[in-house]
Amino acid sequence: MRIVIVEDNVLLAEGLRHLLTSSGHEVVAWVEDADAFVAAVAEHRPDVSIVDVRLPPTFHDEGIHAALRVRRARPGAPILVLSQYVEETYAGELLSDGHGGVGYLLKDRVARVEEFLDALQRVAAGGTAMDPEVIAQLLTRSHDPLAALTAREREVLQLMAQGYANGEIAGKLVITERAVHKHVGNIFAKIDLPPSDSGHRRVLAVLAYLG
Amino acid sequence: MTLGGTFRRLRDAAVYSATSLATGLACLLAIPVLLLSGVLCLLQVGVYLLPPQLRWLGRWTDFERRRAGKRLGRTIPGHEVRPRRLPELLAERSTRRDLHWLPAGGFLGTLHGLAGFALTLLPLGALFSAGFWWVFPAGEPATVAGVPLDSWGAALGFGLPQALVVTVLAVVLLPKVADGSAKISARLLARSERDELSERVETLQVSRAGAVDAHGAELRRIERDLHDGTQARLVSIAMRLGLAERELDRDPQAVATLLAEARTGAEDAMTELRGVLRTMYPPILADRGLEGALSAVAARSVVPVELSIGELDEIAAPIEAAAYFVVTEALTNVAKHSGAASVQVTVTRDVDVLLAEVVDDGCGGVDEALGTGVSGMRRRLAALDGTLKVTSPLGGPTRILLEVSCGS
Repeated sequence: MRIVIVEDNVLLAEGLRHLLTSSGHEVVAWVEDADAFVAAVAEHRPDVSIVDVRLPPTFHDEGIHAALRVRRARPGAPILVLSQYVEETYAGELLSDGHGGVGYLLKDRVARVEEFLDALQRVAAGGTAMDPEVIAQLLTRSHDPLAALTAREREVLQLMAQGYANGEIAGKLVITERAVHKHVGNIFAKIDLPPSDSGHRRVLAVLAYLG
Repeated sequence: MTLGGTFRRLRDAAVYSATSLATGLACLLAIPVLLLSGVLCLLQVGVYLLPPQLRWLGRWTDFERRRAGKRLGRTIPGHEVRPRRLPELLAERSTRRDLHWLPAGGFLGTLHGLAGFALTLLPLGALFSAGFWWVFPAGEPATVAGVPLDSWGAALGFGLPQALVVTVLAVVLLPKVADGSAKISARLLARSERDELSERVETLQVSRAGAVDAHGAELRRIERDLHDGTQARLVSIAMRLGLAERELDRDPQAVATLLAEARTGAEDAMTELRGVLRTMYPPILADRGLEGALSAVAARSVVPVELSIGELDEIAAPIEAAAYFVVTEALTNVAKHSGAASVQVTVTRDVDVLLAEVVDDGCGGVDEALGTGVSGMRRRLAALDGTLKVTSPLGGPTRILLEVSCGS
């Protein structure tokens, strides 16, 4: 894949570039701030961009604003946002435009290379990758309506909210895809959501419900 | 000025004088009682007798403060929470003010009361002797300046003018005397500017010491967390990487295990570091300011929050962090203990005072002695010279009000 990296910390940017190129991807641009990011996306039209939340000049949440700016100009442009900490508010903002191709992960997740590349792949393909911690924040909050779910259904819901497809969920939980399909059906029925198979729409439905 | 107005003014002044007479006499009685208890301190008994008396005196002077304040159209701040033990009571400036006032209240109050009494009765007496001169026995008639009032002529010629003069005197003097008495009480019972400054310095010294303590404790905590947690984990990661390097040629399986362990260790270290950073200064506060951070907290709350935030402008980081901490802690408590169905969080700024209020519709009955939550909030605020008011009657609602100065 052709990838743009937006990261002002040289150490992290080098690490990412190394990780990506050694996995067979191409880093077409490495930029350090929001304006350069917008320009780089316009110039290179990457398959996916990896953006740090904290960017110059203020080192607050420019990454989020930059991602939203890019996606206003190019709806659906796949962007994976990396952060030292996650905040469900930010996840909500990133997902708010209703297009797929959004990821929001803790920087720590880069350590699990395969899972990280997997998430990147998913985002590039128009899917969603939400950090388990965001989902955890959402789940602790609205636990009551979820009381009807079984423990297994909760596990499935968490993975679904992170953006995994049924097949991947089956692999992670070591159960058959048919079983996952059944659980998903039950979950949607119990929490009264219209069933959906398309990846990011499924995540949106779940997050909208949890939010 | 209307007749009704004049009458009301006179009535108020007369009531004030009468009350002064009563309190004045009571003061005169209280002085020997207090003196006796003071002397009994030598025999230890007084140590137990005095505190209730002093607290009672405090309630009494508070009544006097309200009374004088009302007359003068201002408020005279009274006692706050009183200590129970004698040395602490005596250390209070307000107690000393009470004792200082006592003799003045006794003598001047009694005098003022008597004067008021006289000023009220004289016109009535004069009017009576002018109108009813014929009631007096013929042998000893009422007299005005030596002239006996023994005919209508004398009554109208001398008695009536005298009654008029005395009435005018009463109308003019009665309120003035009451005002004067109220002013003396107010001067003795209100905090002088010097007292106010000294008390301010005392609280500032205490809160500054608290701030230094709190800051020191915070630094030690962060040091301990980083030292015991993150640093130890990094050492263990480095050790595993070193081992893996050595095993590289001999045992690839062992290397894989060591590397996996090193990675898990790094992940744990990052999680822990995030925790430490969050307690130092919540990142969302840095990103979005108090308003954004509180919106995020409100959105995350289990109990639905109605959040309203006024114009806040620039607020110093420690104050933002403290306000954020207090509101977050309060909402956690609401969720855990109150059984509330909704909470209102209101944050406003009044010139240079930041006000944050958390009101729930739960069961109330917060006992500060039981939990550490409220005392933690107080400590955090004390370091910034802020205050926290908690009202939580059994049956609710619980109301927590934070006030902290954010002026530059």
